[in-house]
Amino acid sequence: MKINGVWGYSWLFLLSLLATLSAQGQQTSPIINASLVGKVIDATTREPIEGATVQLEAVTHSVKTDAEGQFQFVTGQKLPFAVTVSYVGYEQQKLVISISPTVIELEPKISGLDEVVVVGYGAIKRKDLTGSVASLPNELLKQNVSSLDQALKGGISGVQVTQTSGQPGGGVSIRIRGGASIQGGNEPLYVIDGFPVYNQTENTGVGSGATINPLASINPSDIESIEVLKDASATAIYGSRGANGVVLVTTKKGSAGGAKLTYDGSLGSQSVIKTIDVLGARDFATLRNEVLFDANPSRGQYQYLSQNDVDALGEGTNWQKQAFRTAPIRNHQLSLTGGGDRVKYFLGANYFDQEGVIVNTDFKRLGFRSNIDARPYERLTIGANLSLNRTQAQIAPSGIVNSLLIMPPTATVYEADGSYTLRNPFENIFANPIATLLETTNEQVGLRTLGTGFAQYDILDGLQLKVLLGVDLNTRTDKFYLPSYIYEGSVNNGRANLGSLDYYSWLNENTLTYNKSFNNHNLNVLLGFTQQEARNAIFGAGAENFVTDELLYNSLQSGSTLLRPESGAYAWVLHSFLSRINYNYKNKYYASASIRRDGSSRFGTNNKWGNFPSLAFSWRASEETFVKENLSFLNDLKLRTSFGTTGNLEIGQYQSLSTLYALNYLIGGNIATGFASQRIPNENLGWETTYQYDAGIDFSFFRNRFQFTFDWYYKKTEDLLLNVEIPWTSGYASSLQNYGSVENKGVEFNLRSRNIEGEFSWSTDLNLSFNRNKVLSIGNGSSYITGNYIIQVGKPLGTFYGTATDGILQQGEEAEKGVYTGNATPKAGDRLYKDIDGDGKFTTANDRTIIGDAQPNYFFGITNTFNYKGIDLSFLIQGSVGNQILNMNRQALEMFTGQQNASSDALQRWTAANPSQDYPRAKLDPAPIFSDRFVEDGSFVRVKSLQFGYTIPKGWTKNTLSNLRLYVTGQNLITWTKYSGFDPEVTSGNNVQIGVDQGIYPASKSFSVGASITF
Amino acid sequence: MKSKILIGLLTLSTLLACSKLEENPDALLVSEQFYLNEGQALSAVTGTYRKLYESGQSIYNGLFQIGVEMATDDYEAGPRARNAHVRAISGLTHDESNDRMEQLWKQSYDAINASNLNIKNIEAMAEGQISPAIKTRLINEAKFLRALHYFNLVRWFGDVPLIVEPVASLSGEQLYVSKATEAEVYTHIENDLIQAESLPNYLDYGEKDRGRASKGAAKSLLSKVYLTQQKWELARNKAKEVIDEEGYGLFESYADVFAVDKKNGKEHIFSAQFQGNSGYQGNSLAGRSAPADIPGINGDYSDALHAEGLLYQSFESQDTRLPITFTTGKVSPTNGQYYALSKPQFNKYYDESVVGNQSQSSKNLSIIRYAEVLLIYAEAENELTAAPTTSAIDALNSVRSRAKASLYTGGSTKDGFRELVFEERRKELVYEYQRWFDLVRRGVDYYIAKLHAAKKTQAAARHIHFPTPQRELNLNPNLKQHPDWINY
Repeated sequence: MKINGVWGYSWLFLLSLLATLSAQGQQTSPIINASLVGKVIDATTREPIEGATVQLEAVTHSVKTDAEGQFQFVTGQKLPFAVTVSYVGYEQQKLVISISPTVIELEPKISGLDEVVVVGYGAIKRKDLTGSVASLPNELLKQNVSSLDQALKGGISGVQVTQTSGQPGGGVSIRIRGGASIQGGNEPLYVIDGFPVYNQTENTGVGSGATINPLASINPSDIESIEVLKDASATAIYGSRGANGVVLVTTKKGSAGGAKLTYDGSLGSQSVIKTIDVLGARDFATLRNEVLFDANPSRGQYQYLSQNDVDALGEGTNWQKQAFRTAPIRNHQLSLTGGGDRVKYFLGANYFDQEGVIVNTDFKRLGFRSNIDARPYERLTIGANLSLNRTQAQIAPSGIVNSLLIMPPTATVYEADGSYTLRNPFENIFANPIATLLETTNEQVGLRTLGTGFAQYDILDGLQLKVLLGVDLNTRTDKFYLPSYIYEGSVNNGRANLGSLDYYSWLNENTLTYNKSFNNHNLNVLLGFTQQEARNAIFGAGAENFVTDELLYNSLQSGSTLLRPESGAYAWVLHSFLSRINYNYKNKYYASASIRRDGSSRFGTNNKWGNFPSLAFSWRASEETFVKENLSFLNDLKLRTSFGTTGNLEIGQYQSLSTLYALNYLIGGNIATGFASQRIPNENLGWETTYQYDAGIDFSFFRNRFQFTFDWYYKKTEDLLLNVEIPWTSGYASSLQNYGSVENKGVEFNLRSRNIEGEFSWSTDLNLSFNRNKVLSIGNGSSYITGNYIIQVGKPLGTFYGTATDGILQQGEEAEKGVYTGNATPKAGDRLYKDIDGDGKFTTANDRTIIGDAQPNYFFGITNTFNYKGIDLSFLIQGSVGNQILNMNRQALEMFTGQQNASSDALQRWTAANPSQDYPRAKLDPAPIFSDRFVEDGSFVRVKSLQFGYTIPKGWTKNTLSNLRLYVTGQNLITWTKYSGFDPEVTSGNNVQIGVDQGIYPASKSFSVGASITF
Repeated sequence: MKSKILIGLLTLSTLLACSKLEENPDALLVSEQFYLNEGQALSAVTGTYRKLYESGQSIYNGLFQIGVEMATDDYEAGPRARNAHVRAISGLTHDESNDRMEQLWKQSYDAINASNLNIKNIEAMAEGQISPAIKTRLINEAKFLRALHYFNLVRWFGDVPLIVEPVASLSGEQLYVSKATEAEVYTHIENDLIQAESLPNYLDYGEKDRGRASKGAAKSLLSKVYLTQQKWELARNKAKEVIDEEGYGLFESYADVFAVDKKNGKEHIFSAQFQGNSGYQGNSLAGRSAPADIPGINGDYSDALHAEGLLYQSFESQDTRLPITFTTGKVSPTNGQYYALSKPQFNKYYDESVVGNQSQSSKNLSIIRYAEVLLIYAEAENELTAAPTTSAIDALNSVRSRAKASLYTGGSTKDGFRELVFEERRKELVYEYQRWFDLVRRGVDYYIAKLHAAKKTQAAARHIHFPTPQRELNLNPNLKQHPDWINY
């Protein structure tokens, strides 16, 4: 053990001081026995409430109600009793009971104002919040999804969730109040039971295609609540990791009462939302004949197949049909919860098995969770949250969707002799996608242990010390095998690779909290020191030239050519000091200030430490007498404002150092190891800093039937971590520097409305978000082009940059307009482009312009929930409006080359007989030119999820089960969109190249039935 | 009780307070930790050798072909060369945004920076850290490599920034360097090579150091540098030194020049070293030229013969270089059937040991070899005299006789003989990255005439240089475009 410098010693000193101060605590225990019997019921339905907590004020004694709502106390006090009755979803009630037995009626909680919201390093009543913190509606936690981030879709204003791959267990991209970072990370920080986790995917260099979402190793069914911290007042306490917003995840805890066993199981099926129309064999053969004739007229019109052969062809192979399937999805969740006064537990086991809508892809998770809270002494609470999960996935190799689209229909899956067709028989070589899918082994097997344990001690009344320790152990093995009988493996006679990843992170958090109320002043102070360290090591090895394909990746030594093994390792450390003061006067005037000081290993020696302060004020006008008297319909009216600074340190490791990398050369015929310099050192490398201002208003009226929240924010991110391009003459291409800024500003609305109450109830939860993103400055210059995108001052990130089409060259126009085709020898039927730079001709390099962007004008989600007796129905309608998508699949399909299949739009291609203005002629060898043709409106509205359940009346199952609910759920059931690709909810996950649809595993719709049984 | 709990918690909270904020990468070296001993100096220079072709499409592993040679009368983008930039070079429609030319610039300066780092850091090493002999040798190897890259750059781009110190900070004066004149660059190249002439003779390198730059390599390259500048006498004399003093000779058979078991032999003066299936060090030209449509060969066919240039037809039928240089058909390893090709394809690097996987060809790529030195001698000697001399004719004929081509028997004028030498270079050095240089050093008219004759009618005066990449002009305020490439 080693104490870390001055800070460590000060901490020790402080703790010892507190230990001395608190040596005079007291304990109480019952003296005589009396009894109180009663029943707790729902005030509106008059149904008994099971599991409600009834606590005697004077002592800490509490009991739970049973299935009939009954409770009984044996206590050392006499009537009358002052008791507090509470139950999730109901208003807490404090009352004095003078008769036993008694009936206590609980009002269903509708305001939510008193509900406790988890915030960074603490919890707070919603009415006391000064910042912008949103909770995910409970209904959305019940969706049948593989990872918790997917459940956030459409649920919270300001949170944009887009799928990056439809691969089961695949990733999503989340932007909270817009993305700001160009080179750093943009994903929020996830804090799972106090443990900060970044959802970064790590690569072992083995395998192909999507990487499994690390959050998929957390079972969504274990989650009790998800809170999203949006403004600086809420996120600044996470300092250098708060700039992208923070998602707080709290897992289910045990509750006192008899052991309760719940089984929840569902079974469903998924299918692709749509398929893309491509040419059938006959049309394709005609196209190919036409193309070959055009390229080489002297050889005649039937260079590929004669007209008779063409006529004899049918539709040929439908490659999409071969690959897409109706795939099952299963989920089994078993949980046991219970406990007594002192110990509460939640145990959960889960098996989730999702097969992909593309053949031979899947994701499985087997998990176990144990959350235990105990109070061994009156003032000491300890707890442990531990989850173990094994995930296993077979992943669609990259590029497969593209191949499925463009594989010619005249090719067959198998040759006549039963072996696989190896590849596209024509000029554009790529492998038979079905062989690739069915025969490639491309597995990722992960094992993750995430656990936190804490001890919390009440040193004095109101003063608590909490020590939290956590570990995140994450190992993964990637397994890959290409058999010799498919195209990719035929070159090397089989190729096997194994990769391993070994990640661990530990966390220690020490916090002191002090609560004090005096003369209408309420004070809450937090002080803390935390440190987190992570280490990661990867290893990969492989071999080629196998005598047999039997052994797959299991016997690398059997390959006669061994591939160079590779390994790597990194580590990072974060030290933090944090403090927060929340103050309010009469629960009317609120002020909150926080500061975090972070020291990160990732930055230059001149810039290791950064400070992240925030300040917030709010005023609950509804507590003022003049409001109460004049606007009595208002239940709550709160005005809030906050300002603060957060950071982003997601740049990976060792970026400030002039590191060397290994490279080999042959000297004397042997491999010699060399080293070369990787970058120019930058001692000044530091954080990205985000300044955020937020102003908000919360109000609810008509007995809290309508609750409305509005936020306006302005976020400016400075010192962007940018790979600033430097002249190549330096020997380097770029240098990571803090340079440039991006702003995001927007408004968010949230409305909760209980439209109808009573036996039949209907409530609506609506969120609507507008965000405007703009680059304010970047490295040197005012713009730079990256692929089909441009980053330009004054424009948003995700701005498309390409050529603008201008119709089709018609016969007779060759001389006049031929220069606008970009072809050396223009021909009628070639596509025309606009001459942007006005130099009298078209060139791809010089005639590009801004042709759209991927940022939506607004996005929204509406959840409607209906209840009638035992029937419940809820559905989420989600939408995004004004965003555009780069449909790169379509670009590939609109090359009418005859070398690969084309969109069925090829039937409308330009011919002398059909002088199309939209579609070019068939041509063997066109240059692929990115143009505005492939920018499509990506707006959509969809029924994102639907749940319909029926809870069997208690009476029917009385003797065997305490609760039985049957339900059906669906995902992505109906979609309205003009987008022509597989699905409009699509993005690359890249910071800059947002909204591009290029060979992405398509999203699916699903439908499941299930039952939830409590024994 | 209470104090026990507190002490317990206290202990826990400080137990782990031992992580450090300093970065000490486990799997990476930092520059400051390097050049501490001889082994490290050796491996730093090894790294610089690798910059001849670092990864993917790199200078001496394909990029030269795609980014340079496509713009000649002998080559064109093959059916599988789909990239618009490559096709632009092939059709002479390239511009200052051409990405292959950007790569030529980028990769050359990357390699030069590696040499600069080698030279500076090895010079600073103390006596106890490295033996004086190895120290001098490594510095001269780095200088040879630096000269080679500058020689390429100055011929491609004309005036270029001359950077001879490693860039150590992000300051403007280190980053924004203006161009030096061609003459200044050539002077520096000559100085580097003159110093590199003190490298060991190739035979004095042990077997384990074959492939390193040698005295003969430095002299040969220097004679070519002189030749390019038309310093005929210096060129001839330097070539003569190589012929007389360095112990090189021609292989008996032209096939041996490209034989895997003859690598770094008496004819190979300096080569890019390749070895298939050993960590991405295969010669990709083999794959790039191999037939694509023969089952089991899996060729790429992206480098093709430009048939209109009539290179194939220029060989005599008995010339033994013909079947080594080209293939007209191959037997499929899968079905044993013979497939005739619609036109000849390059075959020099085709490696029979990796039939279906030509990108793993183990054949070296000659950067300079003895046959070329003989032709340099013949050309320079001819320029210095009124009519071809015997020694010039002998040099030419040794190359021709080895190829079993008919011998030159005299009768040409000085001008006629010059053409013969150039035609010989063209046939001897097919697919060895020499054609573009040979065309452009003869000047604009020669280049345009040859290309127009081969029906590449887009060829214009500006094409004897490449444009300075637009990216560099954007980033470096002190850099100017080549005058031929402004308002063309």
